[in-house]
Amino acid sequence: MTVKIVTDSLGDVPSDVAEELGITIIPLNVRFGEGIYRDGVDLTTEQFYAKLLKSKTLPTTQIDSLGVFVQAYDKLAEESDEILVIANSRKMSASYEAMVEAVDKMKRPCRVEVIDSQWAIMAQGLIVIAAARAAKKGASIEELMALTRKNIPRADTRMAFDTLEYLEEGGRIGKARAFLGSKLRVTPILGIKEGEVFPFSREHSRARAIDHLYYFATSFSHIDEMAVEHATTPKEADALAKRLKSQFPRTKIYRTMVSPVIGAHVGPRVLGVAVLGDRG
Amino acid sequence: MAPTKSINGQDLREMFAAATTWLEKSSADIDALNVFPVPDGDTGTNMLLTMRSTVEESQLATDHSASSVTKAMAKGALVGARGNSGVILSQIFNGLSQALDGKDDINGQELADALAKASTVAYAGLSNPVEGTILTVIREAAEASQAHADTVSDDVVSVVEATVNAAKESVAKTPTLLPVLMEAGVVDAGGQGLYTILEGVLHYLKGEVEQLKLRRPWMVASSVPLTAKAPQMVGAEEVPYGYCTNFVIKGEGLNPDKLRKRLEKRGQSVIVVGDDSAVRVHIHTLDPGDVMSRVVPLGTLHQINIRNMDEQYRDFIEMQKERMPAVEVAIVAVVAGEGLANVFTSLGATFIVPGGQTMNPSTKDLLQAVDVVASEKVIILPNNKNIVLTANQVQSLTEKTIEVVPTTTIPQGVAALLAFDYEADMETNAQNMNKAKDAVKSIEVTRAVRSTRLGGLDIKKHQAIGFLNGDLVAVGDKPDAVVQDVLGRVNLDEVEVITIYYGDDTASEEAEAVGENLDKQHPQLQVEVVQGGQPYYNYIVSVE
Repeated sequence: MTVKIVTDSLGDVPSDVAEELGITIIPLNVRFGEGIYRDGVDLTTEQFYAKLLKSKTLPTTQIDSLGVFVQAYDKLAEESDEILVIANSRKMSASYEAMVEAVDKMKRPCRVEVIDSQWAIMAQGLIVIAAARAAKKGASIEELMALTRKNIPRADTRMAFDTLEYLEEGGRIGKARAFLGSKLRVTPILGIKEGEVFPFSREHSRARAIDHLYYFATSFSHIDEMAVEHATTPKEADALAKRLKSQFPRTKIYRTMVSPVIGAHVGPRVLGVAVLGDRG
Repeated sequence: MAPTKSINGQDLREMFAAATTWLEKSSADIDALNVFPVPDGDTGTNMLLTMRSTVEESQLATDHSASSVTKAMAKGALVGARGNSGVILSQIFNGLSQALDGKDDINGQELADALAKASTVAYAGLSNPVEGTILTVIREAAEASQAHADTVSDDVVSVVEATVNAAKESVAKTPTLLPVLMEAGVVDAGGQGLYTILEGVLHYLKGEVEQLKLRRPWMVASSVPLTAKAPQMVGAEEVPYGYCTNFVIKGEGLNPDKLRKRLEKRGQSVIVVGDDSAVRVHIHTLDPGDVMSRVVPLGTLHQINIRNMDEQYRDFIEMQKERMPAVEVAIVAVVAGEGLANVFTSLGATFIVPGGQTMNPSTKDLLQAVDVVASEKVIILPNNKNIVLTANQVQSLTEKTIEVVPTTTIPQGVAALLAFDYEADMETNAQNMNKAKDAVKSIEVTRAVRSTRLGGLDIKKHQAIGFLNGDLVAVGDKPDAVVQDVLGRVNLDEVEVITIYYGDDTASEEAEAVGENLDKQHPQLQVEVVQGGQPYYNYIVSVE
């Protein structure tokens, strides 16, 4: 029986890929004032940013109930007796806690293993996709857990930010607080380190920030798969993906968008690259 | 949601119990905010312990009336209070219990009035109330709750919601009221703690049980951006903090006001609160024994707690290091002008040595800076060709490892600083910074100090002269025209970013006009005009 793969919407796995590989994505919620929307279900990324630019209050994000997780598990338990759940970094969201707690509340007997991916966006997504591909080929849950643990240190990501305001307001700034308050207009390049947002460097122009993302990817000696993500600037992302494609012609490059929940924390004009691969 | 017309003592017990759980989730984060009155990093823990004692005692109330329960809470808070914020928190509960005396149930209006009383009582407990602290937050929150109850609705939940919103805003602006917070780039820890408690109450009243369980409290972001790497800065000054001394006196006919006056001269952060039978004392003193022997004739001493604040402070500095990326390498930069100094610190320079053209710092000045910074590895950015040699001499005088990135202009220094990578080691960083400095062009415009002929140009005294990468290339009567002239000598098609730093005696309008003009002629450029405040140079322009 195939092991079922579950993740949360913070991994930005594109819906067509999720469908093809049978990945269950549990949506987190975005809240604008009184309106609550399920990530990617009630609100697309485009709609979210349209709202964000008009809204006077900043959106907040939340997990509204364990029920959503329990229901998702129980539904999968009808088809399989093993589920591997790969969660967003527990230092960034309560998704992991909810995913673990929901296991005890299941009505059907089923083995459920929950792993903290220590990543977000497509760095998390690429780990999930790799697990789903292996599951589809018939890997056991032990093999999938080993693969996932092996892949966690092989993933990495960098994102160019337009502003750090949203990260700070949403309480997710982590050590990137060191980049707050710059007196010059710079583009911060952030990533994730040990499960938390980490400040890597700053570039003085958008063009150089995009170069930085490109050179980040080319610093890998081997790449399984990678992703280029955007929030509100698809053309920029397309151009970067094209540039990377000519450097890595045989490598799968996903073109994705940050989910609304991620968007609420990173703001508009974010551009990111995520890689699953090896360095040096 | 159905309106909540009133709440009773049982509701009060449960909502503050929920608030305590909520506070517990962020008490460590609140500890890390703590810089006032002393950076000892225990505000969150102290408030949590105070709340626990408050909630425990509330269970002992004889009935479920709001009056009995808040009286029990006030007692629990008084005996359990720890630290400055804890004692002030205990006064808030004291005020609530006074206002709710004799009441079974309370509506939103009564709750708002009780909060107002709580604010008054909190202020009264201190000989020298300071704004930008938990006091400001309770006062502004109470004002908002009264305004809401008076004009909008006396529904309990909506009153609490208005209170929480006001508390959040109040916390965010604490740095504008208290300079030490501004300097450290944090909000007031006690204020954040109070906001968190109120928010926990609101979650409970709204029935958001899963929120309480799965989410974490928000740390309010400072309304003022962080401009300096504060923890190290705060750590640079050695102040003898002494002992944080806490105890309760029990006796008869005690007089808290009189005792406060007596203790004021014995230490700092003196808080004396209570009634004629029990008084809580909090004082930062160099001699706790002296304080206690003065009060022991008044009654019996309980809950004695004395902590060495120097130790607490050291732990706090350690904790702060955890919150910032571990910077193994410090950067010392030579910069003149407040605006430019701010630019450098905002981009991560650890220490600024004032200096530049015509005021070169000595080797000793640089050596002192290198010795003061916490890191064992230091990169020096001299930012002037006459200072590079001085900087090179520092290595032979210190045990620390020094790399001089020989930047000869401010734009080179900024470019080098931006190339600093928090993950890379010192050698890699020095290499990257060297490369970055060479990729930038520098324009400097100043006034000629005498008439001369130089580089084929006839220059009269006081005329504006322009340098491109250190070479004199233009002369004119007006500095802004000379800037344009020099820019005209650079192929701007290959340029992405131009930053114009205007000097001390240059009008911002003039500099803005130069920037706008450039924007119009070359719309593809990212042009930024920044107040550098530097002496000597009317303009320093970075071309990248």
